[in-house]
Amino acid sequence: MLVFWQTVIHYLYFVIAAIIAFFFIKNFFKREKRTNLVYDIVYAYCVIPFVLRVLFVK
Amino acid sequence: MSTYLITTILFVIMVAVFVICSMKLKSPEISMAITGVVGALVGFFLIDGMDFPVRILVEGLFINLDLAISFICASIFVNMYSYSGAMTAVTRKLVGTFNNKWILLTFMAIFMLIPGALTGAGSISVFVMGGLVATVVRYMGVSEKKTAAFVFIFAILSAACPPINLWTMIITAQCNMPYVGFTWLLSVPIAIVGIFTIIFLGWGSKRAPKEQILAELPEAPEKMNIIRILLPLVVVIGLILLTLYAAFDVPVIGLPLTFLIGTVVVIICNPVKRTFKEYFKVINDTMEQVFPLVATVLSVGVLQESMTQIGVKGLIGVTFITMPMILIFVFVLFFAAFAQGSLSYGSAIIIGAPLVFMYNTMGFDTTIACAALSLMFPIGDCLPPSRITGRLTCETVGYKGSYMSFLKQVAIPCLVLGAIALVMFIHPAWFKFLK
Repeated sequence: MLVFWQTVIHYLYFVIAAIIAFFFIKNFFKREKRTNLVYDIVYAYCVIPFVLRVLFVK
Repeated sequence: MSTYLITTILFVIMVAVFVICSMKLKSPEISMAITGVVGALVGFFLIDGMDFPVRILVEGLFINLDLAISFICASIFVNMYSYSGAMTAVTRKLVGTFNNKWILLTFMAIFMLIPGALTGAGSISVFVMGGLVATVVRYMGVSEKKTAAFVFIFAILSAACPPINLWTMIITAQCNMPYVGFTWLLSVPIAIVGIFTIIFLGWGSKRAPKEQILAELPEAPEKMNIIRILLPLVVVIGLILLTLYAAFDVPVIGLPLTFLIGTVVVIICNPVKRTFKEYFKVINDTMEQVFPLVATVLSVGVLQESMTQIGVKGLIGVTFITMPMILIFVFVLFFAAFAQGSLSYGSAIIIGAPLVFMYNTMGFDTTIACAALSLMFPIGDCLPPSRITGRLTCETVGYKGSYMSFLKQVAIPCLVLGAIALVMFIHPAWFKFLK
């Protein structure tokens, strides 16, 4: 039973990463604070690990 | 060129790039990432067999990914909790119940210590309790600057507080030492610094009358009762305690999921029923609010990975450890703090473990030395380039003054903590009674 729940939690973390990636991509295109080019770049590279995690790449 | 010279050149280049980027771009996150990439790029041309920097950038982003996810989930939990009106209700109840400034400040200090002591991360204390504590401390007549300092000092103390002290755990794991005997060695100095901080920051402030404070505070939702207020906090703390003390009977939930479960409980306990769109907006605002911090921890990862790959991390560690003993005593406090500022928990690896090994060969008490070092490292949480807990505190508390003025305010309590740790480090034998 413990192993089953562990697997469920393991996949839940992929879902969490996907939700965070969604919000980061949304805010990359449309956000209210920190709208300059510098933060465009920061958003662009910060979304990388979340997307890679969702794609099971790393 | 010798390896030592190459790594020294790389270190100088990295420092120069960071300073220039910080001045021109006004963003510590991108400055750290650019510094890491430039260091790796120059290293690629100077060092044989170095990987291309893209790999370093991507792998570096993963170093602190779990921490970033924890920050995001903790922020969502706290913002949802505030949005439900529970935070206002707690503040009203505390201010209404206790009429003494010192008792309230002591309670706030204990509240701040609990989340960090259970998780090992001071930033979690700031996220979970920072907003509430700051509100109550402000109503005790404490200035904005001192309120930020109060939250920060207790956040770093909570990170060092047992049962979970990550620096000690890292050092003991590296040195094959048992993680035993640290409870009083860490608790007593933390209690002394905590009492000093309460007196130092609370001295001279004048609490407004209870009636005036309650009149100024917003009204809590009508049906908000003690169960609705406490249940989310009890669930979160209960789950953390379960993973600590019943580790073989429950699955590994992890901090992010713990906070998300807490968020679900907050939504269920909210007396005012909200729409999905309203909750979506809260989460979206939280994402924007927490993004600079998330970007900082991810960028620190890039910097750390780059420093590791090109040998700068080793250069810093070896240079310090090979200094004469007297110079180690003179500089250990500053070096440990700045190593924490640039390498985060990596500081325990590059100087903590070698120093403990050195103490072992000299016949000194390694447990006390390890505890002393783990009391020095948290001071660096407010120092550049990362200054994670410091920045987070300023943002959570809403401190509008300059970062330098914040640093000046936290300097005295930090120095007291550093002085105690330094005495423990130089004369471990004096503290054997605490083992």
